[in-house]
Amino acid sequence: MNATETSTAVSEAANPLVDLTVKSPGDRGDLFENGWGAWLQTTGGIVGILLLVQFLTGVLLAFYYVPSVDHAHTTVSFIEKVLPAGSWIRSLHHHVSHWLPVFLFLHIVRLFRRSAYNTATVHWIASVIVLALVMAAAATGYSLPWDARAFFSTRVAEGILSGLPLLGRTARLWALGGNEISTLTLSRFFALHLLVTPFLILIVVAWRFSGLNLSLVAAGPNVNPIATGRVCLQNLSRQLVAGSLVFAVLAIYSMKYPASLGPAVTTMTPDYLPRPGAQFLWLYQSLKYVHGSLGSVVAVVFPGVVVLALTLLPWLNLAALQKFSKQPQRLIGGTILTVCALLIVTMTSVSYLSDRRDPRVRQQLARQAADEEAFRKEPFVPTPLKLDNRNPALATTPASSQGGPPMAYTKFCAMCHGEHGEGARQGALRFPPLLGVSAKPRRTVDDIVGLLNDPKAYGLEPPMRSFATKLTDQEKREIAEWVVTLKK
Amino acid sequence: MHNDNASAAGPDKSRRAFLILVPLGMLAGVFTSVATAAYRFLKPRISESSNKWIDVAPLADLTGNLPLPKKIVAEQIAGWATSTEEHFVYVLPAKNNQVLSAVCPHEGCEVSWQTDTKLFSCPCHESYFAADGSRISGPARRGLDPLPTRLQDGKLQVQYQAFENNTEQRITRS
Repeated sequence: MNATETSTAVSEAANPLVDLTVKSPGDRGDLFENGWGAWLQTTGGIVGILLLVQFLTGVLLAFYYVPSVDHAHTTVSFIEKVLPAGSWIRSLHHHVSHWLPVFLFLHIVRLFRRSAYNTATVHWIASVIVLALVMAAAATGYSLPWDARAFFSTRVAEGILSGLPLLGRTARLWALGGNEISTLTLSRFFALHLLVTPFLILIVVAWRFSGLNLSLVAAGPNVNPIATGRVCLQNLSRQLVAGSLVFAVLAIYSMKYPASLGPAVTTMTPDYLPRPGAQFLWLYQSLKYVHGSLGSVVAVVFPGVVVLALTLLPWLNLAALQKFSKQPQRLIGGTILTVCALLIVTMTSVSYLSDRRDPRVRQQLARQAADEEAFRKEPFVPTPLKLDNRNPALATTPASSQGGPPMAYTKFCAMCHGEHGEGARQGALRFPPLLGVSAKPRRTVDDIVGLLNDPKAYGLEPPMRSFATKLTDQEKREIAEWVVTLKK
Repeated sequence: MHNDNASAAGPDKSRRAFLILVPLGMLAGVFTSVATAAYRFLKPRISESSNKWIDVAPLADLTGNLPLPKKIVAEQIAGWATSTEEHFVYVLPAKNNQVLSAVCPHEGCEVSWQTDTKLFSCPCHESYFAADGSRISGPARRGLDPLPTRLQDGKLQVQYQAFENNTEQRITRS
């Protein structure tokens, strides 16, 4: 090391904010070494590029996506099946969401190795918070396509929140926007995914970079600006190259493997086996071992504590702990990161293996994959938009006036039984027509009202479900009276 | 980095240029691939005008010498949705049941038939058209636009089309 470099190192060490150029004692050789080792330090650049890709692809998807339960799936299918490059953009968004947490975790591990929680506090805290926000963005993003997977993603979020002690009910209501999963839930997850989390991520990233240029200037007159500049340039170059390479790999992968999109949630069969996205498999598997309310605690409180402890690590140099270790921060942080890594790797592998091992599960998952594949091959079907009701000449016929279906029928039943009771076929699923149903036994007006309240009592099976609470008695009767008039 | 400082300005300079050009090129690659996809993804989608024949009225109803206003409902495919749009047309029984679009060829307002003056007038910029659709006065640069028609099962049918505004020639909008 020559004179210039030594002086650089010394003055940088005095300024903890120059994290790109900081050399803290004890991690000599971890910074700016040449050769292959230096490439291990490019996690920051990779995370930066991947975040950028998520922003860009996310904005593009938002040009077509509509967050309402009657259009969400159609618009996502449109992106997948019709739009040029749509499948690639969505796939990229999907796969990057899996790898972003991995590289963020590696980034945090690397920062931990060089004690960045003490020497580059802002960088450390920002990285931990961005990881939490990226996971939050993923959790809300899975609901948006409104296929079976999305529906269960929402269901599980609902279940986890409602199991929380004390504020379970409140948390659930606030997440769903009501007491049931509805189009309001989708709007909420949409706003959280597209506006709230990206905005917070941007703020944190801006905060992490805010001190950088200033601190380079503040590094003092002793610094040889050319030498420092070149070190930065070299580092920056490496970061960009690594980020671009990871992007290239994911971009090619995304061409071959599109993001999954199943048939619309309305066609879901009762034997559907939900599986979360890869970044949540560890949580999914863990919840198999913890039951009841404790599961919610594990799913919310454990990650919460991890994030909180890592965020507060710079201040955890507690005297009380110094009898266990000279560096309590290393002990705490090291334990947390090791436990997390072990838990995630083990649980994710166990989850994959147990799905492989059980033949019934394996078959069902294969069936679902085949359904998805079949749905992908089906041509895109545009949704008819309902006409403006203010226009009397063109409005749909009002209830029962001209023998048309009642409004409640159109709203709740037509999806499966057809606009006029003709039945429907959706993928592998066949929904029975209602035409001539009154000729069958136990299908009078009163029977149909009873059947809407309790389909099982009338020998019906899912997906036919109870409408006891969804329809008013008046609506049930209107539907029943209309259905019995249908002739074959 | 040990001998970097020792090297002279010449090779160092080219090394620096290389150091920055390659990564910038790769970054440009990232942006280019996303931008190319973005361009294709966001490119406006020209909806194919549906060549469906739309019923206007039974032939028996089309009598007299005056233009008859009719409403037709045309289907429109816009991306992921189909919707229906209503358009006004005028049938000219006196002109072998020619059908005129009510859309003014000036800026696209809808003309109405004035029974007192026996003219079509546009409420927006006061263009006037004769009972056969030909231009009389005002800023419009051509007469009202006729639509393709046919007879089917005793009914007059029309194909709805839109035309470019404000041109002398009649150009189908696509």
